[in-house]
Amino acid sequence: MRSIKIIGLMIVTFFLLVPVLVRGEFNTIDELERTYGDKACKTCHEKTHAEWQKSLHAQSVVHSLGGVRNFIVFGLKRDWKKPVNRENLMRCMHCHAPLLEHASDSLAAEIGELVVSAFDGNEGAKKQLARLNVNCVVCHNTVAEVEINLRGATRPGVYYGPSGRPTAAHGTEKSKSITSSAFCSRCHWLYTPPDGDTLYCNTLYGSYQDAYKAAGGAATCQDCHMRAKERGHTFPGAYVPEMVKEGIGIDLQATGVRVQPGTGVPAAIITIGLFNNAGHRIPDG
Amino acid sequence: MDVTARTDKGVVINIGKKEYREIGVDLDGNERLGAWQIKEIIDLTLPPGKTTEERFVAEFPEGTKSVDIEVLLTYYLTPGYQSVVHRVGKKVGFER
Repeated sequence: MRSIKIIGLMIVTFFLLVPVLVRGEFNTIDELERTYGDKACKTCHEKTHAEWQKSLHAQSVVHSLGGVRNFIVFGLKRDWKKPVNRENLMRCMHCHAPLLEHASDSLAAEIGELVVSAFDGNEGAKKQLARLNVNCVVCHNTVAEVEINLRGATRPGVYYGPSGRPTAAHGTEKSKSITSSAFCSRCHWLYTPPDGDTLYCNTLYGSYQDAYKAAGGAATCQDCHMRAKERGHTFPGAYVPEMVKEGIGIDLQATGVRVQPGTGVPAAIITIGLFNNAGHRIPDG
Repeated sequence: MDVTARTDKGVVINIGKKEYREIGVDLDGNERLGAWQIKEIIDLTLPPGKTTEERFVAEFPEGTKSVDIEVLLTYYLTPGYQSVVHRVGKKVGFER
């Protein structure tokens, strides 16, 4: 029994190490998923994995088909006359599916076609794309550190988290970065793709920094979207009605008047106040 | 946000409508002004930590004794998916 457990642990360890040890160009989504997928993590982190599956991070490509499709069809093809290759696709996918940095140009082109096809209603294409997302490997290894040119990049085989609690399954390291709002800003702010350009895609963090923090706000992204109400890795956002209700308060004042002399015309003066309780502008992403 | 009033005689009157959104696309997700970079030009969203106030003055037919004002705040997440955030109402009378 003991030897079976050891062998099982070795297998899990192998699959957890492979994602960060193998760097190469993958030609199929199958290969990519086998190497960088979330299945091995689920073995030990079942609850967290189940939470994550409810989040939009788990659907970061299929939920954003419109934007990525517009980038391909109206941006790359129509306006900029650029090829749908890995370099150009990564301007979207560096956030929506960061692990595509390991895709070959031919796989990137195929994924571009799948995006357009899925947007047009092809369920098969959508099913394929649903396997690309922001998964455990992305946040806890690939992009777990900020300021990597100063602090150094994340190390292969090591998974970063707020506790850094050791485990036999893989290397661990405590990360302060991963608990900071700056960590989320990598994608939820002015975005710098791998080619060094500057993109206005998501500007949520801009309003967090310039309007919320500047006015004395102290909560981090993780405070509201993870720690509050034990939301964990579900990262609820605007797609959860309860979250929007929390974010926007409403006040209605109305007074009846008569606007003309004599009998007068019945009229109402209506004042509506919408208070944004969130740490960022609404709507945004 | 949609503001309507139902008079005591059952007539529904549309008072006003306001949209809070990113400028690049309309509520159906269609490009309106070009690429999303247009976001830097104008911001139509609700800013954090602030109250955005809207005021409407609505006139009703002679003889109306009261109206029920209703404010419906709807969040459009993606085309085809929307949820009601708030539905609040207030009765206003015009009796002398």
